[in-house]
Amino acid sequence: MSSTIIETDPDAALLPERIRRFPFPFASDTYRYSANVEPATKTAPTEAGAWGAHLVDIDEHYLDELAERAKVLTRDPSRVNVLPHMRTAVWDALTTLLSSMAEDYPDTMSFHREGNICRWRNGLQNLEVEFTVGDDSSLPEGPLRFLGTQIQDDIILLDIREDTLWLDAGLVTFAADWSFAFDVGMNFLEIHHPVPRVKEERITSRAEQFLLRLQPGEQFRRTNWTMTIGRRMDTSTETYPEWGPDRTTIADDPAMPEKLHLRVEVQHLIRLPHSGALLFLVRTHLLPLTDIARVPAWREKMGHVLAELPDDMAEYKGIIRYRKAASDWLLAR
Amino acid sequence: MPPAAGNGLEPGFRGVICVSFGSSDDTALPDTNGQPRYDLHFESATAESLSELKSVLSGSRVGVRLILAGPPTDIRAAAAAAADCGLLGEEVTLLPQETGPRFVYCPHCLTTTVDEAAGTEVKCQGCATTLTIADHFSRRRGAYLGYSAHAEEAA
Amino acid sequence: MTAIALQPRVHPAVEGGLQLEVTNVSRETESIVSITMAAPEGGRLPSYVPGSHLVVQWGNGVNAYSLTGSGNAPSEYSISVLRVGEGAGGSLAMHRLCVGDRVYVARPRSAFAPASTATHHLLVAAGIGITPVLSHARAAVERDSTATMIYVHRPDAGAHVAEARELLGPGLIALVECTDRGSFQNVLAEALITQPVGTHLYVCGPVVFMDAVLEEARGHGWSSARLHSEAFGAAELDAGEPFTVHLARSGVRLEVPAGVSLLETLETAGQSIPNMCRKGICGECVLPVLRGAPQHRDLYLSEQEKAANNTMMSCVSRSNDPELELDL
Ligand code: HEM
Ligand code: FES
Repeated sequence: MSSTIIETDPDAALLPERIRRFPFPFASDTYRYSANVEPATKTAPTEAGAWGAHLVDIDEHYLDELAERAKVLTRDPSRVNVLPHMRTAVWDALTTLLSSMAEDYPDTMSFHREGNICRWRNGLQNLEVEFTVGDDSSLPEGPLRFLGTQIQDDIILLDIREDTLWLDAGLVTFAADWSFAFDVGMNFLEIHHPVPRVKEERITSRAEQFLLRLQPGEQFRRTNWTMTIGRRMDTSTETYPEWGPDRTTIADDPAMPEKLHLRVEVQHLIRLPHSGALLFLVRTHLLPLTDIARVPAWREKMGHVLAELPDDMAEYKGIIRYRKAASDWLLAR
Repeated sequence: MPPAAGNGLEPGFRGVICVSFGSSDDTALPDTNGQPRYDLHFESATAESLSELKSVLSGSRVGVRLILAGPPTDIRAAAAAAADCGLLGEEVTLLPQETGPRFVYCPHCLTTTVDEAAGTEVKCQGCATTLTIADHFSRRRGAYLGYSAHAEEAA
Repeated sequence: MTAIALQPRVHPAVEGGLQLEVTNVSRETESIVSITMAAPEGGRLPSYVPGSHLVVQWGNGVNAYSLTGSGNAPSEYSISVLRVGEGAGGSLAMHRLCVGDRVYVARPRSAFAPASTATHHLLVAAGIGITPVLSHARAAVERDSTATMIYVHRPDAGAHVAEARELLGPGLIALVECTDRGSFQNVLAEALITQPVGTHLYVCGPVVFMDAVLEEARGHGWSSARLHSEAFGAAELDAGEPFTVHLARSGVRLEVPAGVSLLETLETAGQSIPNMCRKGICGECVLPVLRGAPQHRDLYLSEQEKAANNTMMSCVSRSNDPELELDL
């Protein structure tokens, strides 16, 4: 399995930050689904650099992506939903993440809590606010929408009851080919019903058992990947009529290497301390093939993974029409 | 069979509430094993009938069980209403009719379409997009997911 | 006297936890004391889920006690300890704690959480079982939900009675105290048939008491998902038994102590074992077993694979036999 020792390429220091910090997901020349979870905030080295030291990762796209999120929410408010019993969990998520950011970015951010009164400063946005935990009206548009203006991650909250995880709240504007509004209220197995193989391979049932056993305060992470045409963050089912057609034309597009991106989700799984709810954060990173190709080990691994990936997985990921073109381009470099 | 709605339920009821929808025959409901039983019948799961069901449920007490019979669309809407009242999955029995229309949710325009045919596609009643009906079902909405069927066909 | 002197080493069950200072000790009843702890440097402690317990080290042993606060951004942790028997289980050591003593505790663990979808909470406590139930009542008050409490205790010997009474209001809508068996039977029977749909029941106290309450609730048609109980003091401190591994290829023998995983033992001995989750789910740390029966505690291997006993996940699994032989 992935016991390969990762060695950073000696020329990597010359690469731009977007490449050096990219969470490249492939450990070898093949890829299969697995219960690939590991403790959070462990620095993960790659051939081009490293990623993963912080729970909430802030990068050069911070302000752009938050602006993009605001636009999506204005167009389609169904991307946020909080079932009434999840209010405590939302506040728990907000206070947990803001205090984690203040610890990780002390130069630009600070968080103070006195009882239920909190003060948050975010120098990247010239923002200073005071709010009261539990009082939804103390933040404009409420605590979840506010959290969505502070972090690039999509936010999903799962309630734990009857020995099952229930997706009962969230703010998801950058979904990779699924509909948050449709999935609200589903349990863990129902959510994963469309995914091929995972039932047969007991991956989802094992993952659920693992998540149910997490104790408050524990934090894990995993990566998942697909491909996206253009630097398009919102590839939800909602807007599929807009972006779906690109899948048919990209293989023959001479600009494919610039347009086609590897889309990697760094997903955090956090059992919240006070509500006991599970917080699932999805942080999306996009890197075009032209950048992937600048790291020889990445170019080769990704080229082989795309060529070898079984059809059912390629079909599910929506890359089946162009994965050969992408693989050929990568391997011909 | 006692007359259905409007008759009032004794306060503190902890027996079995049997609700049938449409043409479904009350006698198709199972025996309740000697438990006190209260029957309700509705034409369909409308806002009014669901609110009546909710008021019956909120007058009852822990220990109550619910049996829902009829077209899948109706009983799923009723099951979602029961969940809102605090009933748990194991306290609700669904007896769906074998056939019946399905609801299909369109994420492109957020409307839900009633699908009478049992095909793989349906035309969205909200935005007229032809939707592929996915094998992905939401209990809360009582609906299947639809998505644009021809987005990946060359223009 | 500081407790540190009595605690030569940190017990594995509280490793990676917190070191706290006792800030208050108060006698609740003849046999129950409440102990409050805070960070020596002050400041906030981790929040916890209502109904959580705290694993506390005493001497070389550990015990679990329910936290009595709501768990919302606390600056102190409070537990109440009943002195049992001669105190061999640690309760005597806990009763001896004084203000200023330092104790090691693990982060609070949740095993008796409120159901977030409950429309009402019926809380039932007997004796020292009041502790997690008080935590639930406080949380109900803070979260604008409602609760009813039934509390059975000996006459004039109810711990936390005053605090429970103070909570009465729109959150804790009723508190029924029972000091004899007969009145409790009647109160419980009446409560079990009059709760609004959506109520969840939480019970804590002696095992026989909890069993009786749960049994009666089931008899009145309460489904099991509505019933929550805390086997008081019974936390799974599964440090496991020590065992030996024999590495067949290198001929090395290693002792795996209680509270230390096989993976950690191998790593300390200089072996590099691929691993990822260290939680028994990812499958990376699998090891071939040549002899002996592993005690499988992972989520990765299938039932057949576990039964075959020729592989094991070294991050969580241990041994049923005194010695295991590995193909390493
Ligand atoms: C608890 C939080 C989680 C949530 C809310 C979640 C949600 C989702 C959703 C919405 C999808 C897309 C399904 C669709 O096509 O409609 C998905 C895909 C998937 N999930 Fe999860 N997931 C979670 C955790 C996990 C974990 C812990 C694992 C495995 C260990 C996992 C494995 C997968 C896999 C393999 C896919 C297919 C991804 C692909 O090929 O693109 N998920 N998940
Ligand atoms: S390291 Fe993941 S199963 Fe052991």
